[in-house]
Formats: sequence, structure tokens, C-alpha cells
Amino acid sequence: MNAPGTTEPTEAITRARAGDAEAWGELYREYAPPIFRFCRRALPTREDAEDATMEIFMKLKGKLGQYDMTRSFTAWLYKVAANHCWDTLRRRKIRQDKETEDLENVPLEHPDPNQLDRLIEERTSEEVRKALNKLGARARMALVMRYYSDMSYDEIADALGVRRAFVGVVLLRARHELRQALENTALAAGGAS
Amino acid sequence: MSEKPETMKHLDEMTCLLYIERQLDRARAMEVSGHTQECDACRTLMRALERESRLLTRAMLEEEEPLPGRLAQFQERARKSMHWIWGVVFGLAATGAYALYTTYIDPWMQQLEQAGFGGSNLLGLLMYQGLMWKGWQSLVTFLEVLAMLTLVGLGALIFRRRIRRGSALAVVFAGFCTLLALPAPAGATETRGGANPTVHSEETIKGDIYMSGERVRVEGTVEGDVFAAGKDIDIDGHVKGDVISAGRYLRIRGTVDGNIRSAGNTAIISGTLGKNILWFGDAVTVDTTGKVGGGVTMFGDTLAIDGHLGRDVLFFGNEVNLNGSVGGEVRQKGHMLIIGSGAQVDGPIHFEGDHPATVSASAKLASPVEFKQTEHRKPYRESGYYIWQVIWAAAYVLFGLVLFVLLPNFSSDAVRSAEQYAAAAGVGVLVGFGLPIAACIACITVVGLFIGLSTLFLWYGALYYGAVIIGALVGQWLMGRTSEQWPLIGHMAVGVVIVRLLTIIPHVGWVFKYGAALWGLGAISIAVYRRFQPMLAPSLPSAPYQSPMPPSSPVGGAVPL
Repeated sequence: MNAPGTTEPTEAITRARAGDAEAWGELYREYAPPIFRFCRRALPTREDAEDATMEIFMKLKGKLGQYDMTRSFTAWLYKVAANHCWDTLRRRKIRQDKETEDLENVPLEHPDPNQLDRLIEERTSEEVRKALNKLGARARMALVMRYYSDMSYDEIADALGVRRAFVGVVLLRARHELRQALENTALAAGGAS
Repeated sequence: MSEKPETMKHLDEMTCLLYIERQLDRARAMEVSGHTQECDACRTLMRALERESRLLTRAMLEEEEPLPGRLAQFQERARKSMHWIWGVVFGLAATGAYALYTTYIDPWMQQLEQAGFGGSNLLGLLMYQGLMWKGWQSLVTFLEVLAMLTLVGLGALIFRRRIRRGSALAVVFAGFCTLLALPAPAGATETRGGANPTVHSEETIKGDIYMSGERVRVEGTVEGDVFAAGKDIDIDGHVKGDVISAGRYLRIRGTVDGNIRSAGNTAIISGTLGKNILWFGDAVTVDTTGKVGGGVTMFGDTLAIDGHLGRDVLFFGNEVNLNGSVGGEVRQKGHMLIIGSGAQVDGPIHFEGDHPATVSASAKLASPVEFKQTEHRKPYRESGYYIWQVIWAAAYVLFGLVLFVLLPNFSSDAVRSAEQYAAAAGVGVLVGFGLPIAACIACITVVGLFIGLSTLFLWYGALYYGAVIIGALVGQWLMGRTSEQWPLIGHMAVGVVIVRLLTIIPHVGWVFKYGAALWGLGAISIAVYRRFQPMLAPSLPSAPYQSPMPPSSPVGGAVPL
């Protein structure tokens, strides 16, 4: 897993672990923007994302000693961020129990590929971001973990506290919700015009 | 590509998704791949899903918002702020501790020692010497209490990591209560109630006795302490310990070897008291036949001494009438001091009041009365007022420092709760006024006395803690949000100083003072409530854990369908 546009700053990590404040500054400057964007996608408001970013970096100070240098720092950092964001959402009770009841009932039929293709073709990135904001917490979190930070199914399962076998179901359901939100937006726009 | 045969089934969407996400095992992946070679619809679906994935990634990665300035400056600001905040925190804390000790504690201890209470036992006096709970008597020395609090703090730290959501606090608190209960008196303790509970003249009570009723009478001998609550309390017999009472009248016609620690309307001592009187109430009279071996400390309206007092008088109230003898000094802050012809005072007399003392020419005084006129100037015009404000601010910071170190997570939660402005203020008003009423109701019953007083004590402390919480919130408004312990303490110090500055604004300062206390109290209450809320249960049905796929297999792993 690679961070969007980052390479592993091994030396800075080593120095930061030894308590070098400058190294901390380097890590912060390099990773704060992608982590903020991650939080911005996962959490409901900009203020929440700002708070979460600061809290994640403060948490990082205490956790850096636990980081295994042989593995990807970026992946580890995203895992910390994902856990923090999910904890935040869960504490606020945004997580809806209703979502779990429907997990077993995700439709497995063959959707109309051409219709899906058209829907994707006509949508812009901005529309997708707006639609993402309308999703349930778990759906949004799953999509962000998978398609923003490229986390594996195992990592997503760990973060969300679900069985690995359900991650695909959660992702598929999230896509369905997203499509529905995009269609609703299109209908609303059509009605308004 | 060929058309789909009639018997050939399309792939479901989940399989297609898992295929493009490389989550199918090799055999199934080959099967799916073969199918898509022949089926246009499934191939189109897979392409659509892939495009959907790319669209999602692109939409999420696009940087439409720059990094907020708060975050850009966060690292630098947090680091810089520490340089001067810590100077402020430790400076104020040291000033507060020193000033409180030299200005309040030390002179008071000296005064109390002069009044016959023993300076090393200040906490014992504050705890009312076992009025409500006898076990305090074995725990009252400062070092014991300090050691106990340290143990409780350590216990909280240890258990906080093991047990979640405040239940640790409950366990530690329960343990603390158990600890307090352990040194309770092992000797025999008797309880008497009814309309007129009496220890008859021929009776001897070997230990302590608890008595409550309309008229409480001790005519016999009590070898321990007497705890009495009633309308009229008469001690005509012999009490070898202390008399601890709450009632309208307390009359001592017999002998008490120990102290009187009481609250009530009137006390009349016409018998013999071996030690001291501590009285909260309207009037105390030491009759002409009365003899008190120690001194009197009184917070009330009138003190009249016609008999003999062995040591000092410390009085805060309205009027003192001296017609008997006082073996030590007299120190009064009040309205009037009248020294009659029969008075004899062996020590100095310090009187601060509105009018000079009225002294009979026949009175025998060791030295003339030192009179100090009470000044009623506006406090804002005095420099001492501002010095005291600094001292108070320092004391608040010190108090906050201790609490934020002992309860870092809870304090952080309370600050967050304070951000729910309306809820915190509403709950604050409710708890601020409702809790003391509830505590007073609890105090009415003997069973609930300890609980009621503990609640009142906690409520009072929480008002100050609330002001500290609001200070932290104000600091957060000014210097940015943080949930890290030490920066939060730094923000708290700055915020507390600002809140204290607001409270000294003439005419409206009280609004800030009480507003902050109630608002903070509400935030604390909400934080406590949340701590005891049950956690959300995991929302998925439990199932055996499946081991993750080996990372080396590109399309490995079991199909979850």
C-alpha cells in the first residue's frame, strides 16, 4: 500500500522515535495533508476532520514506538487514522445498527451493466464527493479505507470490527448506496431544471 | 464475442467485485475469467465496476480543500505555546501555594493552636472531629490523608487501563469507602431513639452512644463520646469523651471531659468542660458556675462568658460579652465587644469591629484592647484586592493542575462536554440547584447523613472544578483544540486566568463567576453521565474468525459467498 504521493521517510521516523522535534515536524508536514483528506472523507464535517487530524498526530507520538520499521509506515499510519475515525463515529452513535441487519440481504442479481456504465460516465468527481457525504458512516468509512488509502480487506475488517468475509458485502452495499445517492442527485437536478 | 447460451447464468455482482478486487481464489478467478471471455454482459459489468472504483479513488484523492491554517500551524504553535505557558503554570501554582500557606493556613493554624486546638490537627478540625463519621479521627493527620489520596490516585491509574468507562472510578471509590470503613470504632456503640432518649443516672455506657429524639438527656456516665441530635440536649451526668451534637438547645450541667463540637441555636455551659468548644450557631453562654478548661472557637451571633475559660477565644460574629475570666487571649472580628466589671483576661485582646470595645473600669485586663476599625471601602480601590485575585487565580490553576493530572481523560471529556453549550448550561443549573437540595434531604435521615454530606462536599468541589473546565475551554478557543494532557493543562491555565479577570469586572463579574461554575458543573455532569453509559454493542453477528489470506496469492482467499 502506498500513500498518495508519498515515499517512506525512514530516517525521519527513526529520528522522531528518538525524540527529535524537527523530525516530527517533517513527518507532520508530509503526512498531515493526506491524513486530513482521509479524515475529511470519512467524517461528517470539516471541523471534525481538523480535530481528528490533530488527535491522530498527538496519538502518533505515543504510538510511534509500536511501529514495526520493516513494514509500510504509510499503511500503518492510515490504519491508526482509520481506527481513530471509526472510534469517533462509533462514540457519536452515528453507526446505525440497521446497516448490519441488511448485510445478509444484499442483492446478488446481475445489475444492468449499461445503466451502471452510463451512471458512472455522467458523474463528476465533485458529484461523487457530495454523494459520499450522504452515505451511512460505515459505508463511507469502508469506501474511504478501500479506495482512498488502499487498505486490504483484512485491515478494513479489523478497523470496522467485522469478519473479513463481510468486507466485500460492506463495500458492495456502500457502492449501491452511492449509486442511489448519485441517482437522487441527478433526479433532483433534473427536477430543479 | 458469442451471445450467452440459454443455460449459461450471469455472474452476480459480488463475484464480479471480488474478482476485480483480486479477492477470489485462483480456481474461482480462472472460472470467472473464462466466463467473461464469453459473456458480454458480465464483461461490461466488470468494466463498469472497475471504472466505478477509479472514479471513487479519483474523487477522493482530488485536493479540493487546502490544509486548514489551524492544522498548518498546529505543530509549531503547540511547541511554541509550551515555552511560556509552563512558566505561567508553575509560576502561578508556586505563588498560589506559597501565598495560601503564608496568608491563610499558617496564621490560622497559629490562631487555632492558641485557641487550644493544636496546630497539627487542622484537618481534624475541618473534618469536625468525627461529628459525622468516627473513623476520621484515626485518619486526620495531614500525612495520612495525603498518603491515602496518593494511593487512591495510583489505584485509579492502574485500574483505569483495565476497566473502561468509569467503572474503574466506581471500584476505586468503593475501595476508598471500604478503606475508610475499616478503622471504624471497634468498641461497643449504643444507639437510642424515641421521644426522650435518656441515659439514666445509675447507668454507665462503656463506649460511644448515639442518641436522637425530641429531648435527649444524659444523666449517667458515658465513657466514650455522645453523638446527639434533638431539640433539647441536656448533659447532667458525666461524659468522658466528646459531645457532638446538633439541636436547638445544648445544656451542660454535668461534666464533660472532652470537647463540645456542635451546631445549634444556644449552648449554656453551667457545668464543667475539660477541653474546648467549637460552636456553629446563635449563642453560647458560659454561666457563672461554668468552667471550660480549653478555649472557644465560635461562628455565630453572641458569646457570653460569665464563668471561667482556661484558654483563648476566637470569635467571628456579632457580639462578645465578657464578665468572667479568660486564661488566654481574645481575638474577635464582629460588631461589638463588651467587657464588664467582673471580667479578667490574662492575654491580649484583639478586636476588629465597627465600634470600639466598651470596657468597664473595674475589668482586669493584661493589656489594653487592640482595636481595629472595620473598613468598608470598595474593594476595587484596594491594591490588596488585586493581589488576592492573583492568589485566587493561582489557586485555581493549582487545583486544575492536580485534577487534570489525576483525571486526564475525564477532564478532557468534560471540556468537550462544555462545548455543548446549551446542554451543559442547562444541566449545570439543574445540578447546581437540585443536587444540594437532594443532599440536604438525604442528610435529614441518619442513614443518609454521610452520603448527603459527601454529596454536598463533592458538589462544592465540582463548582470549582467546573470553573477550571470552563477555563480550559476558553484556553482552547484562544489557542486551538488539543486533547493531549500537558498542552490542555497549559490552555487551562491561560483560560482560568482570563475567566478570573472577567470575574473582577465591577457589577457584572459575578455573572461570569457563577455562570462559569454552573456551566462547568453541567459539563462535568454530562461527562460523568457518558462515562456510565453502556458501550454500543458490536453490530455484526459473531462468527468464527477467518484467518486472513496469504499476502502472496494475488487472487487468493476464500470466497465469502
